[in-house]
Amino acid sequence: MKKTKLGEFEELVLLTVAALQQEAYGVEIKRELETRLKEKLSVGSIQSALKRMEEKGFLTSEFGEATQRRGGKRKRIYKTTSYAHKVLREMKEIRAGLWESIPKLAHELKVI
Amino acid sequence: MTEANDMHPPQWPRKLLRRLLKDEYLEEIEGDMEEIFLDNVEQFSLRKAKHMYVWEMLKLLRPILLKNFKSSPTFNTSAMYKNYFKVAYRNLIKKKAYSFINIYGLALGIACCVLIFMFVRDEMSYDNYHEKGDRIYRLIHGELAADGSTPYPFWVWNNAPVGPALKDDFPEIDKVVQFSGRSDILLTYGDKIYQEDGVFFMDSTVFDVFSWKLLKGNPKTALAAPYSIVLTETTARKYFGNEDPIGKTLKGSESAGRSNAGDYTVTGVMEDVPLNSHFRFNVLLSLNTFRKSIPQVFSEWGYVDFYTYFLVNDKFDEAAFNQKIPAFTARHIKDPNWRYTIKIEPLKDMYLRTTADRQPGETGSLPNIYVFSIIGVFILVIAIINFMNLATARSLERGKEVGIRKSIGAYRSSLISQFLGESFLIVFLSSVLAFLIVFFALPYMKDFTGKELNIQNFITWQSISTFLLLLFFIGFLSGSYPALVLSGFNPVLILKGVSRSTGNGATLRKGLVVFQFSLSIALIAGTIIVYHQMNHILDKDLGFDREQMLVLDYNYDNVVNAKSEVLKAELEKNPQVVSVAFSRSVPGSYYPHAGTEIETPDGELKMMGQPIFQVGLDFVKHFSLHLIAGRAYSREYPSDSSKALIINEAAAQQYGYTNPADIVGKKFRQWGREGVVIGVVKNFNFTSLHQNIEPLTLPFEAYASRYATVKLKPGNISETIRNIGEVWKSIVPHRPFLYSFLDDDFNRQYKSDFMFRRLFTTFSCLAIFIACLGLLGLATYTAQLRTKEIGIRKVLGADVKQIVGLLSADFIKLVVIAIVIATPISWYAMNKWLEGFAYRMDIQPWVFILAGCVALFIAAFTISFQSLKSALMNPVSSLKSE
Repeated sequence: MKKTKLGEFEELVLLTVAALQQEAYGVEIKRELETRLKEKLSVGSIQSALKRMEEKGFLTSEFGEATQRRGGKRKRIYKTTSYAHKVLREMKEIRAGLWESIPKLAHELKVI
Repeated sequence: MTEANDMHPPQWPRKLLRRLLKDEYLEEIEGDMEEIFLDNVEQFSLRKAKHMYVWEMLKLLRPILLKNFKSSPTFNTSAMYKNYFKVAYRNLIKKKAYSFINIYGLALGIACCVLIFMFVRDEMSYDNYHEKGDRIYRLIHGELAADGSTPYPFWVWNNAPVGPALKDDFPEIDKVVQFSGRSDILLTYGDKIYQEDGVFFMDSTVFDVFSWKLLKGNPKTALAAPYSIVLTETTARKYFGNEDPIGKTLKGSESAGRSNAGDYTVTGVMEDVPLNSHFRFNVLLSLNTFRKSIPQVFSEWGYVDFYTYFLVNDKFDEAAFNQKIPAFTARHIKDPNWRYTIKIEPLKDMYLRTTADRQPGETGSLPNIYVFSIIGVFILVIAIINFMNLATARSLERGKEVGIRKSIGAYRSSLISQFLGESFLIVFLSSVLAFLIVFFALPYMKDFTGKELNIQNFITWQSISTFLLLLFFIGFLSGSYPALVLSGFNPVLILKGVSRSTGNGATLRKGLVVFQFSLSIALIAGTIIVYHQMNHILDKDLGFDREQMLVLDYNYDNVVNAKSEVLKAELEKNPQVVSVAFSRSVPGSYYPHAGTEIETPDGELKMMGQPIFQVGLDFVKHFSLHLIAGRAYSREYPSDSSKALIINEAAAQQYGYTNPADIVGKKFRQWGREGVVIGVVKNFNFTSLHQNIEPLTLPFEAYASRYATVKLKPGNISETIRNIGEVWKSIVPHRPFLYSFLDDDFNRQYKSDFMFRRLFTTFSCLAIFIACLGLLGLATYTAQLRTKEIGIRKVLGADVKQIVGLLSADFIKLVVIAIVIATPISWYAMNKWLEGFAYRMDIQPWVFILAGCVALFIAAFTISFQSLKSALMNPVSSLKSE
C-alpha cells in the first residue's frame, strides 16, 4: 500500500477514467469530475494528475481520433491498468473497513 | 468571416505553451485547450473565453508538464569544459595587452575597494569591543535659548556634580564614571622622567563600565585611593622595564588646576587602550587625587572640567529619560537665569555621529566615510567598464568561434556559461593580484590614514563571504553583456562575415567611455579643488605671526613661570632670537572660556561668554597682532597687570560697538578682576579655518602661562634651538625642554583634511589611470579594425596628421561630452565639502576647464601611441594580405 502513493485527487481522476472507459480523454474527464464535484477544475491539475499516474503505472494511453472542434488535434484516450484496479479495490476495502468501525467508536466515545 | 477568425484562442499563450511544454504532451493538451475554449465561447462570451484560456494556460505551467531544461545526461561535457579552458587560456596568452589591461585594471579596482572597505570597517568598529556597549551613554551639556531651542553647540566636557546627582535621581542608572579633561603630568621614576600627556583623572568605577582589562591589580579598588595610578602596559614598561610595577612609587608633578604634586602608588597595569577607541590614554590617576587637591570644584555646577559617562540597566528607556531631564535640571540648578540642559549620547554614536564639542579624544567623520565608499565604488565601476568594453569590442573576433560552436550544436546557454566562465576566470586572477596589492599597500595605508589597519582583523567569515559575493557580482556584471551579445549571434551571418560591418555595441561602448571619463574628470576636479582649498587655508594670512615661531611647552610649571623674566632676558641675548613671550594659550592650542562683563554703549555692565587667552606682557607685539584701537599692555602702566583688558574686534562687536575705538576705556569685570578695556586688536584666526573668528579676551596674567614662544630669525634654526635648549637647562633643569613649531602645531588641526587630500588625490589618480588603461585598449582595438581603411587613405594621399586626427577625434569627442556631464556633478559635491570651512575659496570655472584639459591631454596622450603607430604603418603591409 505504501508504494502506490495515490493522492486523493489522483484517486478521483483514476476512478473517473475507469468509469468513462472509451470516452476517457482530458476534456471529458474534466467535465465529468466538475459535474460530480460541483467545482471548476483547471486543465493543468487534471493533466498533471494524469501524467503522474501514467508514470506510476496506473494508466496507459494512446492517441484517439482528431476532430474539427479540437483544431485538428488528436485526443489521448486513457485506460486504467489492472494494477490500478487492484489498488483502487484495496483502497475501497480499507475505507470500508474504517467506515465499519466508526459507529462503535462513536458510541464508546459518547459513553466516556 | 470575422467571427470565424475571432473564434480562435489568443495566439501568444499558445506560443508560450509550445516553448515550454514537453513536446510529447503538446498535441493532446493543445487540443484539449481548444475544445474547452470553444465550449466556453458557447457558454459565455468570446472575451470571457479568451480570458479563461489565458488563465488555464498559466495554470498549465507545472513541473511535470514542462520541458526538461537540463542538458541531456548522455552528453559527455568534460571535453567541452576542457576546451573552454583551453580557449580561454589561449585568448589570454594571444592578446597579452588586453589581458594585462583587464586583469591589472580590475585588480587595482578590487584592491582599492578592499582597502577602502577595510578603512570604513575600521572606522565603524570604534568602541564596539565594550561588552556592555549598548548600555553605555554619556552626557553632553548645553544651554537652552529663551524659546527652549538649543542654538549653541553642546559640550561633552562639563561639571562634576551632575554625576552623583544623576546616580541619586535615576534608579535606571547603574554606574556613573567621571573623569577630568585630558591632563599632562611629569612623572619621575629614578632617572626616568617623562612628560605624559595622555592622562585622565578617572573614577574608580571605570572598569565596571568599560571593558578594558586590568592585567595586574584589583579593578574595584585600583583607582579608589588618592594618589593611585594605573598605567597601560606600554607605559609601565617605559618606566619599569621588566620589574613588577605594582606598589612602586612614581613622583608626579603638579597637574595645573587638578592636583598638587605628590607621590603616586602604582595600583594596576591595564592592557593598552585599543586603537579603535574614541578616547585613549596612557595613564589613569584616581579622581580622588583631584578631589583631595581641589575639593570645592566637585560641588560647583559651573566648574567645567569633567566628562560624565554612565551605565544603565534594563529599566532604562531613552525617551522616558529625556522627558525627565527638564525636571532634573530644574531640581539642581538654582539660578533661574541659567538655562543649563543635558542630552545623552549612546556609545555607538560617540566616534562618528557626535555633534558635541570638547571631545575627550579624536572623532571620525561620517561624510569622509561616505566620500571614500563612493570613490571605492567609482573605481570599481570604472574597472568593470573597462572589462565590458574590451570584451564587447573583441566580441567580433570571437564571432567566428561562436559561429562554429553554434553550427556544431552548442546551446546558447552553454555559450553564455562559457563566456561568463571566462570572465570569472579573469576576475579570479585579478582578485589574486588584488590581494598581493592590498598586502603590499597596507603598510603605506598607515601613513595615509594615520591608522593601523591589520589584515588579521578582516579575515572573518563575514568579510570573506562579502568578498566572494563581490567577486561573483563583478564577474557576473562584467561578463554578462558580452556573454549575451556573443551567444546571440546568428551563425550563418557570422560565418559569411556579415557581422564585421555592423557596429555591434558601439553605442554602449561609447556610453561606457563617457561614463568612465565623467567619473574620472569629476575626481580630478575634486582633487584640484581640495588642493586649492588646502593651500588657501595654509597660505591665508591668519592675522598673527606664525613663521619661525618656536613653542616651548612647560605645562604651567610654577617654577618656570616664576623665572619667566630671567628666561626671557637670557634667551633674548641670543642674536638669533627676536623676542620671547609667555602665555597660557597659543593660536591652535587649547583655550578656556570665560564670562566677562563689559559696559555696553547703553552704560550697563553686560555678561557674555567668550574664549580667553591669558597672555604675558608682550603678546601683542610678539605675535605681530594689529592694534586697531587703544594700546597694548606696557610696563609704563603698573596697573595693567590687573586692571586692564585687551579684546579682539569680534568681542567689541559682541558688546554692541560698531566702532572698536568706542569700547576703549569702558569698564569690565572678569574672573574677579575689574578695570577698563585698554585696547582692541584686529581679528586673528586663533582656531582652525573651519571656524569663524569668535570674540576673544586677552587678559594680562603672566603667572597662568603654559607656553613660552620664541620668535627666531631665519637661518641656522637647529643651532639656535640647541642654544635655547642649553639656556633652558641652565635655568629650569627640572623641566624637560619640549619644543615644537607654531605653524606645525596650528596645521595639525587640519590633520583629517590632509588625510582627506592624500586619499582623494591617490584614488583619483588611480581612477584616471584605470580609465586610461581601458581607453588605450579600446583605441588599439579600433585602430586594428581600421587598418585597411588607413592603408587605403594613405595610398590615396592622406598624411600622418590627418590619420592621427581621424583616429583620435572619436575619443576626444567622448571626453568632451564627459567634461560637460562631470562639471555640474563635481561642482555640487565639492560645494558640499567646502561648506565645512568657514573660510573657503569660491569654485571658479577654471577648475573644471583645467580638469577637462588634464583629462583631454591624458586621453589624447594615451591614444596617440596607437594612432601614431597605425598612421606610420606602411600601407603596403596593411593592404597586401586579405
